[in-house]
Amino acid sequence: MNHKMNPVVEQVLINIDKVMIGKREVAELSLVALLSGGHVLLEDVPGVGKTMMVRALAKSLGANFRRIQFTPDLLPSDVTGVSIYNPKEMAFEFRPGPIMGQIILADEINRTSPKTQSALLEGMEEKSVTIDGVTHQLGSPFFVMATQNPIEYEGTYPLPEAQLDRFLLKMRMGYPEGTEEIELLSRVQSALPIEEIQPVMELEQLRDMQAKVKEVYVDHSIKSYIVHMAEQTRNHKHVYLGVSPRGSIALMKASQSYAFMHGRDYVRPDDVQYLASAVFSHRLILKSEAKFEGVKAEQVIEKIIDVTPVPVQKAVK
Amino acid sequence: MMKRFSTLVLYLFGFLLIWEWIRPLEQLTDTGNVWVFLLFLCIALAMDFLKWHWVIRFVINGAIIFFSLMYIYFLDQYGLIGSFPMMIQELFDNFLTMLQAQWTAITDMFRTLLFFILLWLMSYLIQYWLIQRRQIFIFFFMTLVYITVLDTFTPYNAEMAIIRTVICGFLMMGILAFYRQLEKEDIETKPSKLSKWMIPLSGLVLISSLIAFAAPKADPIWPDPVPYITSFNEDSRNEEAGGVRKIGYGEDDSLLGGSFVPDDTLVFVAKTEDPHYWKVETKDVYTGKGWELSEEDRGSQFFASGEEVPLESFSENENVVVEERVSNVQMNRARPQIVYPLGIKSFQSENIPFELNEALEKFSIRYAEDSLMPTYDVIFNEPTYSVNALNTVNNDNHGLDSAFYERYTQLPEDLPDRVRELAEEIVAGHDNWFNQIREIEGYFARSGFVYSQRDVAVPGPDEDYVDQFLFDTKLGYCDNFSTAMIVLARSAGIPTRWVKGFTEGERTNGNELTVGTYDITNNNAHSWVEAYFPGVGWIPFEPTTGFSNPVEYEFDLDEETTPNNAEETETPEREESPDEAETTEQTETASSTFSLTKLWDSVKEAVQQHWKKIILIIIVLAFIGYLTYIKRGKWLPYFYIWTYKHRNNDRDFEKAYLVLLHEFSRFGMKRKQGQTLHSFAKEVDRLLGHQQMSQLTASYEAYLYSGKQEKGIWKRNKELWENLIKATIA
Repeated sequence: MNHKMNPVVEQVLINIDKVMIGKREVAELSLVALLSGGHVLLEDVPGVGKTMMVRALAKSLGANFRRIQFTPDLLPSDVTGVSIYNPKEMAFEFRPGPIMGQIILADEINRTSPKTQSALLEGMEEKSVTIDGVTHQLGSPFFVMATQNPIEYEGTYPLPEAQLDRFLLKMRMGYPEGTEEIELLSRVQSALPIEEIQPVMELEQLRDMQAKVKEVYVDHSIKSYIVHMAEQTRNHKHVYLGVSPRGSIALMKASQSYAFMHGRDYVRPDDVQYLASAVFSHRLILKSEAKFEGVKAEQVIEKIIDVTPVPVQKAVK
Repeated sequence: MMKRFSTLVLYLFGFLLIWEWIRPLEQLTDTGNVWVFLLFLCIALAMDFLKWHWVIRFVINGAIIFFSLMYIYFLDQYGLIGSFPMMIQELFDNFLTMLQAQWTAITDMFRTLLFFILLWLMSYLIQYWLIQRRQIFIFFFMTLVYITVLDTFTPYNAEMAIIRTVICGFLMMGILAFYRQLEKEDIETKPSKLSKWMIPLSGLVLISSLIAFAAPKADPIWPDPVPYITSFNEDSRNEEAGGVRKIGYGEDDSLLGGSFVPDDTLVFVAKTEDPHYWKVETKDVYTGKGWELSEEDRGSQFFASGEEVPLESFSENENVVVEERVSNVQMNRARPQIVYPLGIKSFQSENIPFELNEALEKFSIRYAEDSLMPTYDVIFNEPTYSVNALNTVNNDNHGLDSAFYERYTQLPEDLPDRVRELAEEIVAGHDNWFNQIREIEGYFARSGFVYSQRDVAVPGPDEDYVDQFLFDTKLGYCDNFSTAMIVLARSAGIPTRWVKGFTEGERTNGNELTVGTYDITNNNAHSWVEAYFPGVGWIPFEPTTGFSNPVEYEFDLDEETTPNNAEETETPEREESPDEAETTEQTETASSTFSLTKLWDSVKEAVQQHWKKIILIIIVLAFIGYLTYIKRGKWLPYFYIWTYKHRNNDRDFEKAYLVLLHEFSRFGMKRKQGQTLHSFAKEVDRLLGHQQMSQLTASYEAYLYSGKQEKGIWKRNKELWENLIKATIA
């Protein structure tokens, strides 16, 4: 009854592992978001390989990869694209912006103005952008991995909490461990491993998998387990604003795709527990006194996981 | 059709097997009317076989029980209409008795009811074994054990019973084995197949039984039945008794012997000037095992209150000086038997018609339906016997009618000679009956016979009750002493008879009053001896050591022949237990109405009386419970394994898995409520050093969360589950 990793997913993970040593967990979470049609917010310092990972992911999928480096002077049209008058054809011609790609790295999203930020976020939410009255559908798959730098606050525009809700998951990458870093050095010494990555699946296959993820069975008891957790965040003593129903939906979807990746057609409480912190933590607004006490949202979620009873009996409907 | 027929055969054999359980009752206990039970069993099984609706069966069975009880106990006495209230009353009385835990006081009727219920259960069990389980071995085996034990330890001769049971049992097992095979392999029954199986089977069973029957067998090592098996309770003979034909005073004394337990239930209260014994009935034929009546029931004579009783106790001449006395009796419960003193002249009561059974010299009354507890005065002559007249009688000059003389000197033909020799030895040197019988009366005290209600032997089939007492055991109670005295006296040629009744009881009011009030309980039930002297009449004698029955004699002779009761050691009255029937007759409640307060009162009373015992029992039970709980690790897993072994429903997987979690928690591996089963399973496996919990949990998770119903998932995982739960055995 042991469930094997979905073979295609496993291949993608192996690919990513070639460039990102020891970051399998981050890669898995990214895939969870990708498969359930969500987006990822990476909170980390520069240089730990965020770009490498996204590029490896894009290459494995054979998807086109765009990168947007957010700066304070970036305009919304720099993200979405712009219509330019073509004197030859005597007409406006639409020049698509980087958001029209399939896998997008939105680097240092907190460094740009809220106006530009919302252009991206609107695109993420609607899966389409409207420029000069014309609505342009975004790519499929459409996967945004946004990063924000947690240490630099000077001249940044932190994303409002409500906007964070748009990301399915928030995660940290962290530095590689000592031996892993040495291994990394050896790998990049001669050639860049990213160049050697071959696509392991078609985009069509990805869309197919995304459809299948939706079919993964979520038992009534699991749903109530998720809701129970969400309720706990709303009543927790350290929490000012708890998880919205959108958060519960996000956790369910993420659990579905996690279960699918692990070759199962139903969700286990383990999936929910594993993802709860990544899905919920950026959706909580802690009370200021809790912040002063140094309480982290992740700790609150851990506590909630500990006290929420896991369903071990058939739910009586 | 064929299948129906063989089911019928199975039922028939089942009936025969139960019959083997009932058969010995008739011989060994005083169960009568066995055919009623058989009929009931027959009908119950037949209805089972016909698969009638259970409600109908219940009603019919209930009705049969009800009318059988009525038929056995009430119908002749109270008529069809009058029986109902009596029955209901008796049922309530018995419930109260049960609440007071006076098990020995439960009446025959109630025992019969319980026996019926037992049979009812048996009929269900037979049906269950035969039709559901298709196994009869245990019942068959138990039947064999039962029969062999009875054959070994009681007079019951089970030679044929063993053969019948063996044939029945093996045939049944054969047929059932056949059906088990058919059902296992899912084969249709065809008549040809059945006969192919049945003919060799019956042949084999019959031939082997024949060979076993005809084969030479070694003689038993022990005498059969094993002698001196004493029972703890004389009542045990009656335990299963159901069919005694008359309610009330147990008249069956045909098998004496055995121990019994005291019972202080109040029977009646007497107000009398001089304490005296109370007679109930007399018997004349000694069988070697007990007492019977020589003649058929002569019917009854009726007489009214105040009318002279047609019974003559002693001659009205100068040899007996009589003084008229009056005693008052207040019965504690409606019972037809009347107690009376020797020399009874008449009864005074409020319009109750009295009845005399002449053969037994036993009085009884009939109650109107709503009659109160009877109170009556007895007017009687207290005799003073002239010893002078008594001294003149001997074997040569008694001049009694030969039929009368033979009746009261009757002895069984197979009475051992040594009893007669002993009688001659005792009376040697005395030339008249009176001195002779005085010698016999005092013999027991002189010779160190011991009074005891416990460890009293029951004579074997080839043994004489009196012989056993006189020469082997020398230990017994009133029945032993009185019967032995009569046998000795009759051996010496003195006409005597056996009297049953009660001793004078215990005085409850002060000694300064002339009229004493005496409580007579079942412990005062007693038996003694009356000897007949021509020209005088019946004179009571008391051979039982420790008892005395004051009889007045006229001291008109020299002291050598003067009988003096004061010579006898006036030991305090010992607690005497009832004759078995008395016990069964009494309950403490005298009321004819039943109410909840009454019930509550009796419960309260019982609690007050036995609170020490109750607390002790509670403490012991609590301690046992505590130990069982502490040691549950030793037995609980087995219990669970046993419980779930035969459950194959997939829903039981869930229950079983939760039980397993619970057991692990008891074992010290507790799952935290936020811990998933998967991670818990890994933890358990790490501790136990294998993968079984993870395997089982994976199945369980699939069962629980996947929304799919995989058939047989529990069956597949049962072994895994068993292994894991065994791991929790401390």
